[in-house]
Amino acid sequence: MQDLVNMTTELDLRGEVCPYTFVKTKLKLEEIECGDELIVTFDHAPAVENVPRSLKNEGHKILGIEKRDEHLWIVRIRKA
Amino acid sequence: MKKITVIVRNLPFNTRRNAEALRMSVGLTLREDKVTVIFMDDGVYSAAPAAPELIGAPTLKKEFEALPMMKCTMLADKPSLEKRGIKNLVPNVKQAGRDEIVRTLTGSDIVIPF
Amino acid sequence: MKLGILLTSSPENENTNTVISLSRSAREQGHDVSIFLMYDGVYNVQKKEFAQLADKGVRIAVCALNAEQRSVQKVDGIMFGSQYDHACIAGEVDRFISFG
Repeated sequence: MQDLVNMTTELDLRGEVCPYTFVKTKLKLEEIECGDELIVTFDHAPAVENVPRSLKNEGHKILGIEKRDEHLWIVRIRKA
Repeated sequence: MKKITVIVRNLPFNTRRNAEALRMSVGLTLREDKVTVIFMDDGVYSAAPAAPELIGAPTLKKEFEALPMMKCTMLADKPSLEKRGIKNLVPNVKQAGRDEIVRTLTGSDIVIPF
Repeated sequence: MKLGILLTSSPENENTNTVISLSRSAREQGHDVSIFLMYDGVYNVQKKEFAQLADKGVRIAVCALNAEQRSVQKVDGIMFGSQYDHACIAGEVDRFISFG
C-alpha cells in the first residue's frame, strides 16, 4: 500500500566532494517525506562508499548502488 | 550535543590549512553538534574578502555558503583584525572581542586549533 | 575512557611519534582510541606503526578525499572514510586532542 503513494526525487551531485556530497544528500532528505525514495548521482568515488554507509548509520535504507560509468554512480535511498 | 570550536589561524594563500579547517567544520556539523569557527591571528585574512582565483588558488565560496546553512557561528578575533587593519569581513562572519572569544572557548567541549 | 585524536601533519613532524606513543599507551591501559587522519596527516597511513595500532584495536579512519588528492593508497585495517566519520568520533569521545 505504502509504495503506491511514495514519491521519488532525484539529486545530481556530480562535481561535489566530501563532505558536500553528504551535506546535500542530508538536506534533500530533510525536504522529502519518510518512506520516499531519493536517487542521487555521484562522480566522486569515495562518496559512493561513504555516503551510503553514513546514511545507514542515520537509519536510512540503501535500496541500491549502481555503477553507470567509469566515474558515475547512482545511489537509491529510502528515507527512514 | 557537543560544542565544538575550530580555530583558523594561518595565512590563507601559502597553505590549504585554512580551507581544510573550514571544510572540516562543515563536516563537524553533520552530527547535530554546535560548531563555531574562530578566525584568529593571520587566520583573519581568510575571513576578509579576497579573490584567490586570480592566483589560481581555490576559493572558499562553498565553505562560506555551507557553514551558515549548517548553523555554524563564525567569529573573527577583533584584536587580530585591528592589528592587521582589516575592516571588511565576508558575509556571516562577525567581529568578536576577546571576551566573546574567551566565552566561546571556555564553553566548548572540544577546541581544534587547525 | 574514549579518546579521539585528530592528526593533520605529515609523518616527518614529531606529532606522528607522539600520536603513536600516546595511542599505544592509552590502548594498553584499556582505553578506547579513535584516530582521524586528514590533510597531510593522511600520509601517516604508510607508516607500519599505524597498521600495528589498528591491530591492537585502535580505530583509524582517514579522510578519503585528502588521501585521493595525495595519491595515498588504501591500507588494510584502516578505514578510508569521510568527514562524517570525524564528526562521529568528535561526538562520541570523552576527550578529543588535535595534533597539527
